[in-house]
Amino acid sequence: MLPKLAWRNIFRQKRRTVLTLMTMTGGFVLSSLSIGWMNGSYSSIILFFTNNRTGQIQVHHEGYLADQSIYSTIDNFEQVGSILDSLPDVRTWAPRIYTGALLALRPAGQSSNVFSSSAAASVIGIDPTREQEATGFSAQILEGEMLTVSDADTSLSSTGQILLGKELAITLEASVGDSLILLSQTANGAVADKRYVVVGTVSTGNTQIDRRTSYITLLDAQNLFALEGEAHEIAVLSRNLDEVDDLTATISGRLSGRNLETDSWKVFAKEFYNGMKADESSLEVMIFIIVLVAAMGVLNTVLMMVLERRREFGVMKAMGTRPGFIVRMIMLEANIMGFISILLGSIISTAGLLFLSKHGIVLDPPLDYGGAVFREMIASISPDCYWIPAICVMLTATIVSWIPALNAAHTEPAKALRTV
Amino acid sequence: MTNEKIIEAKGVIKTYDDSGVPVHAVRGIDYTLMRGEFTAIIGPSGSGKTTFLNVITGLDTPTEGEVWLSGRLLSKMSGNELSDFRRDHIGFVFQAYNLFPVLTVEENVEYIMLLQGVPKEERHSRVMSILEKVGLDDYAQRLPSRLSGGQQQRVAVARAMVSEPSLVIADEPTANLDSKTSGSLLDLMRQLNEDTGMTFLFSTHDEIVMKRAKKLVVLTDGKLDENNPPEEYE
Ligand SMILES: Nc1ncnc2c1ncn2[C@@H]1O[C@H](COP(=O)(O)OP(=O)(O)O)[C@@H](O)[C@H]1O
Ligand SMILES: [Mg+2]
Repeated sequence: MLPKLAWRNIFRQKRRTVLTLMTMTGGFVLSSLSIGWMNGSYSSIILFFTNNRTGQIQVHHEGYLADQSIYSTIDNFEQVGSILDSLPDVRTWAPRIYTGALLALRPAGQSSNVFSSSAAASVIGIDPTREQEATGFSAQILEGEMLTVSDADTSLSSTGQILLGKELAITLEASVGDSLILLSQTANGAVADKRYVVVGTVSTGNTQIDRRTSYITLLDAQNLFALEGEAHEIAVLSRNLDEVDDLTATISGRLSGRNLETDSWKVFAKEFYNGMKADESSLEVMIFIIVLVAAMGVLNTVLMMVLERRREFGVMKAMGTRPGFIVRMIMLEANIMGFISILLGSIISTAGLLFLSKHGIVLDPPLDYGGAVFREMIASISPDCYWIPAICVMLTATIVSWIPALNAAHTEPAKALRTV
Repeated sequence: MTNEKIIEAKGVIKTYDDSGVPVHAVRGIDYTLMRGEFTAIIGPSGSGKTTFLNVITGLDTPTEGEVWLSGRLLSKMSGNELSDFRRDHIGFVFQAYNLFPVLTVEENVEYIMLLQGVPKEERHSRVMSILEKVGLDDYAQRLPSRLSGGQQQRVAVARAMVSEPSLVIADEPTANLDSKTSGSLLDLMRQLNEDTGMTFLFSTHDEIVMKRAKKLVVLTDGKLDENNPPEEYE
C-alpha cells in the first residue's frame, strides 16, 4: 500500500520529479567524480613520489629510521632480496648505502694537492642496474651519464665514478670530467679517502636533496666504507599501491628474526603522508558543498509537493489516516527518488570516471607538489566513488523530507478541505 | 430506527478567530442524531453547515460544548485515537469528490480497509459488492480522472460505506453535479440507507436533495431554526 502510493505519487508530477532526480543525480555524479579524481590525483602523486625515489616499502636494520647510524646495516642484503623476489606483489627492489663525506674538488689539469672548493655531502651507494629498474634513476640525470655497472669479475675494483646533485655541483663548481676527493671514515674507524671522477649531475626535482647528495655505486660504497655485503636500506617497489599495507605486513613476517624493520611510505615518509591526509579534508569540504546545494534543491521540490497536495493530506486525515502513515509516505517518496538517482548516478559516474581515468585533465600551469610536477591528473575508480555519494544522497533525501513530511502529517483536515 | 444515539452535541459553539475578527460560525447547538436516520442539514451558504459537520466529526474542535460520537466524548480522544475512530466509524463524502488521483477506483474504495488491515480476499469481495451496488463494478480498474463527476461521487459514496461505518457524513455532496445526476445519487444513497440501515447525515441547499431526505434540520446563522423544528417525512 505505502510503497504503491509513494511510487505512483512520484510519477504524477513528471516535470518536478525529473528536476529532483536531476538534482540528486547531479550531486551524486559530481561527488563521485570529485572523489575519483582526487583519489586518482593522490595515487599519482604518491606513486610519483614513491616510484621515483623512496619505493613504497623500505627495509632497514631495526632502529635505523630513528638513528641513521652507519653501523645499522642489513647483513647479507642479497639474501633478503631473494626473499623479496619470491613475493609476487613485489615488482622489484633496490639496495642503498647512506653515508656522509667531505667532497673536495681538484679541477682538471691541477696538481694533486690543490683543491679549489669543498662541501659536506651525503653519499648514497646505489646498484645502477637495480636502481634503474626500481626508480628509473637515469631519467633524473641532467648532464653526463649514469654510473657504470662494475664487471662481475672486477666487482671489487672501483669504478671511481660519482654523480653530483645539481646544486651540489654548483656549490663545488664541479662539472662533468672533474676529479673529486671523497674523505670520510669507514665502518671500522679507518680513514676512507678516494678519488672519483664526476660522470654526471642529477636533478631529482627537489632542491633540498640536490644540494647535498652525491651517488656512487653500491660496490664502491661497500669497499670504501668497509661494508662488504651490506646495505642500509632496501627500497621495495610494489605492483599495486592499494596492496602496500598488506605487502608491508607480509614482508615484515617473512623477515622476522633478522633484527630488521619493514615500513610503508606512510611511516618513513610521514610528513608527506600527513600532507596528503590534510589535502583530503579539502575534498570533504567540496563534497559537503555539493551535498548542501543539492539538498536545497531537493528541499524546495519536496516543500512544493507538500503544499500542492495539502488538500489530499486533509482528505487522508479526515478518512482516518494516522499522521505517521503520511510521514512515512513522503519520506519513502524522497528515498525512492534518492535510490533511482543512485542508480542513474552510478551509470553516469562510471562512464565519467572511465573517461577521466583514460584521458585525465591537463593541468596548465602544471602542479608542483613537493618537487613532483604533475601535468595531467587522471581519475581512479574505487568503491569510494560509489558508496560515499550513495550515502550522501540517501541521507539528504531522508533529512530533507523529514520536516515537510511532519508538516504534511499535521495538516488540519478542516482547513485543508476548505481550500479549493 | 433504534434508540441508539450516533451523535449527541451539547451546547456546541464554534468561533473562528484566525483573522482577529471573531466569526461566530456556530452559536450554540444541541443536537442528537439517531441510528438509521437519513437527515439533511439545510441552510443558506455561510449558515455554518460545514463548520457544524466538521466539529461533530472531530475534524475541527468546538470552541465550547461537548460532542459525543457513539457514546464517546471527542475531546477526550488523542490524535491517533481520533484518527482510528474516524477510520472505523465515519465515512466521508466530500463536495469535490476528493478521490486519490493516483489510485484506481478499486484501490480508492479499498483504502480504508487497507488502513484497517482487512485481508486481501475480503477487501476484494467487499469492494466489488459495493461497486456493484453503486453500479460501477465495470469501472474498478479505471483512474478517477477517467470518470464523470457523478461517477466519481458514486465511487466516493462506495468508499465511505465499504467498511460499514456507523455514520456517513456528506457535506454538499451534489454541489458539483447537475440536477439529474444529483437526484440519482441521492436515490442511491437513500436506497443504501434503507438496505443497510446505515446512518446518513448530509448538508445541502439543493431542493432535489432536500426532497429525498427523511428528515430536515434547518440551520440559520449558526443556530438550529426554532421556527422550523426538525421535520420528518416518511
Ligand atoms: N477558517 C475560517 N475562518 C474564519 N471564518 C470562517 C472559517 N471557515 C468558515 N468561516 C465562516 O464561518 C461561517 C460559516 O461557514 P460554513 O461553515 O462554511 O457555512 P456553510 O457550510 O453553511 O456555507 C461563514 O461566515 C464563513 O465565512
Ligand atoms: Mg459548506
